[in-house]
Amino acid sequence: MATLTSRSIAEGVGTALLVYFGAGAAAITLMIANGTKPATPFNIGIGQLGGLGDWFAIGITFGIVIAAVIYALGRVSGAHINPAVTIALWATKRFPSGDAIAYIIAQLAGAAVGSLLFFLTVGMDAVTIGGLGATAPFPGIGYGQAILVEAIATFVLMLVIMGVAVDTRAPQGFAGLIIGLTVAGMITMAGNISGASLNTARTFGPYLMDFLLGGSNLWSFFPIYVIGPVIGAVLAALFYDRITAE
Amino acid sequence: MIIMKCYVCAKEGKESDAVAVCVACGMGTCMKHTIRKEVDVWEGGYPLPSRKLPKKMPRMLCPDCNAAYGDGT
Repeated sequence: MATLTSRSIAEGVGTALLVYFGAGAAAITLMIANGTKPATPFNIGIGQLGGLGDWFAIGITFGIVIAAVIYALGRVSGAHINPAVTIALWATKRFPSGDAIAYIIAQLAGAAVGSLLFFLTVGMDAVTIGGLGATAPFPGIGYGQAILVEAIATFVLMLVIMGVAVDTRAPQGFAGLIIGLTVAGMITMAGNISGASLNTARTFGPYLMDFLLGGSNLWSFFPIYVIGPVIGAVLAALFYDRITAE
Repeated sequence: MIIMKCYVCAKEGKESDAVAVCVACGMGTCMKHTIRKEVDVWEGGYPLPSRKLPKKMPRMLCPDCNAAYGDGT
């Protein structure tokens, strides 16, 4: 097994790529729609030009990057690139506590680096218009509703991870593809509700960089993206273990 | 009882019993013409890190296949 340092670096790099391309796609969509008049109060720009297709484009970007990272780094670190996944594996005694802490720190740091790189690539408009692709509840969506949708979507994500990757009976080689497509589907539907983070690190990176670079201060929403994904992922892992127990 | 003979020895006009079968081409080889490689065995993978198992797995090759794989002479 690679050293914990190597595995943590792999987690950091994987999460940085996730945020750079995935959250970056959300920011770019907002920048493309900038200046158009939202058709409904439920719209903030994403969906203005392509309807749900905008969310599908963002979702599939996330999905492709996730699949690429899983295939590239899955054997090294496990390619969790998501604190909720790490916590769920830890909670079901599949992953040691010390490693889990190192992974989560690496994921958060990697997400911040990914967001910073996106800012350096695009410039200040990425912050002021694109918000670096940060997630927040959409107009009319309450705090509890956002937590609920994050929990449900992350439940599905973790359930799929359990079924296609953790379970040794799963067919080999499909995990990255199926998990990537699952995330794409979740984002397409839940994107215009809570931003469809499903991942505390994915939200942390843009929040931190927006805050440091003079963009929006969204920290009051951060608990949504801790509570929802962690609860959803842990419940899915426990549920899968329960229903497959013999 | 039929005993498999070493193909390489047979080509040299000699006769010797085979002690292994090349994993690539299926050629029977005697001890002299069998090349044993030690191959790492890995366990696990996504979403857990792969772990190299302490013991290696043998891989028997004939001289021709060993050369074809690029690590023979």
